Amino acid sequence: MLEIIRIHNELLGTYGDRGNSDVLQYRAGLRKIKARVTDISYLDPLPRSGDIYLLGGAEDAAQLLSLTALRKGSILARAANKGAVVLAICAGFQLLGTKYTTRDEEFVGLGLLDVSTAPGDKRLVGDIAVKSPLFEVPLTGFENHSSVTTLGPDATPFASVISGNGNGVAGLDGAMSENVFGTYLHGPVLARNPEFADLLLELALGTSIKPVEDDLATEYAKWRRALIK
Amino acid sequence: MRSLKLRFAIAVARSAGATSKLLGHKGETLPGRILLAIEPEAISLLAQSKEVILVSGTNGKTSTTKAVTTIVSQLGPVATSGSGSNLAWGAANALMSSAPYAVLEIDELHLPSIIAQTDPSIVLLLNLTRDQLHRMHEVKRVADRWHVECSEATNTIFVADIDDPYINYSIVNAINVVRVSFGGRTHPDGAVCPRCGSYLTWVRGNYSCICGLNNKINELKFKKGSASYRNAILANIVGEIVGADPVEFTETALERSVTKEISGKNAHFRLTKNPASWTEALQGDLHHDVVLVLNARQVDGIDTSWLWDVSFKALKGHRVFVCGERALDMAYRIHVEGVTPEVVESVDVALSLATGSEISVLSAYTAFFELVM
Repeated sequence: MLEIIRIHNELLGTYGDRGNSDVLQYRAGLRKIKARVTDISYLDPLPRSGDIYLLGGAEDAAQLLSLTALRKGSILARAANKGAVVLAICAGFQLLGTKYTTRDEEFVGLGLLDVSTAPGDKRLVGDIAVKSPLFEVPLTGFENHSSVTTLGPDATPFASVISGNGNGVAGLDGAMSENVFGTYLHGPVLARNPEFADLLLELALGTSIKPVEDDLATEYAKWRRALIK
Repeated sequence: MRSLKLRFAIAVARSAGATSKLLGHKGETLPGRILLAIEPEAISLLAQSKEVILVSGTNGKTSTTKAVTTIVSQLGPVATSGSGSNLAWGAANALMSSAPYAVLEIDELHLPSIIAQTDPSIVLLLNLTRDQLHRMHEVKRVADRWHVECSEATNTIFVADIDDPYINYSIVNAINVVRVSFGGRTHPDGAVCPRCGSYLTWVRGNYSCICGLNNKINELKFKKGSASYRNAILANIVGEIVGADPVEFTETALERSVTKEISGKNAHFRLTKNPASWTEALQGDLHHDVVLVLNARQVDGIDTSWLWDVSFKALKGHRVFVCGERALDMAYRIHVEGVTPEVVESVDVALSLATGSEISVLSAYTAFFELVM
């Protein structure tokens, strides 16, 4: 049983990112792999046993509450160190960094990725397309944020930006390690880009999975890529 | 007495409106734009001679504005904004009328400025949930602006549905407030206190915060019910304040729905434009044949990620057609939830394929207006 942990969706669910877990579960199901999605609220302790942890985009106050809760016991960092897969979008990605600055205060992040985030001078809203070395095809999504994320020396960019803004600096989007991925792509990103969902499943299972025919998913991803300007 | 400049501005605006109507437009936006271009103070000048009532919120603005207009009309002529013309020029256009009352639907982001300009007698605040996030960015951002303006509008009576924490926060420092609660419903974006940023405690549709924000302290309490039912009550509370008799509305009177006969079949169109209104519509009665129409233009919200926050499970067992400019966004979303979509070119094609004679059509904003207007 693949354990998918959806972290604080009531806080980190402003931009539809809960769909990432639905797509993972669905595409696991197409391979007859059982997957369970568990919602962990702000009030619940974070389980240590997750195979995949998901974080989404949030409004500012909600993001800070989530950070406060996730700092307790550093469970997410420990799970990631043991090989659990983490996918974090937008505000969730910012929380994984070393430092997160608002207009008023500076916060220490969860430290899973060597990135730091600070307020930018304008809101970055719109369709985004990126090219990640992990995939042959570009990934598409939608971004809606006002912060700028800078990579530290130990960070690997997730992708370079084809159109849109991403991190808002250096033409890059997101950051990643072997099993931790941060990006600004909503959409949800795994719905728009099934190859990314499959990669996360393979990493979580530690084995390759057979390709599946899901014509609608393929048609959808292709159509969204065709809209890239 | 209206100034010469204002009278000139109205004259030019009206003639432009008449020309625009001759050309086949609705003629609601252009006159207001011209009026404000010639006399930027027009809204405030015209509002002085009227009893102004404003209605705002994410969902239910248009139908509730119509309901309030119906109720207030018992007292005399009412100037009101046309369907969905809820920006500054729509208000300016409506205010040109000589009617003693004005009931105006106002866009959420424009509300603070229109309150400041019209010094309204009453403002009815319905709800604030996620909508058009590419434009609103965050629900809290809208509520912060409301909060500031409501605190400053000391002549205005606010009628507020405080089961929505964002509405309660908006009016928490206002001087004259009728806080209305129906209870029994949660808020899709209501996990965090909009006032202090703490985690809200929700128990059976009632919330409370350590900072004191809650919906148990209210002036009027009613039993729980649908959005249409709640908005009819809120409209009548406004009516009672201005001295109008209550008007009874049917349970579904305030839904944005229209039935049209198309090639011998009855298509029941319903406006569904964001997670809250889709959820409300999917909880209602649906015919076996259902058509989902999705566009993603500016007023629809150009990002469709929110589809994943709506549960479409209620459509299991129905025959579901999907169309619109973003049909595939919708099709893939419901596909993953186990509902099989039939992607078709248009509503007409869906209706021709449907086997039943009664068909539910749930439609995004721009598509709704193209289909039923």
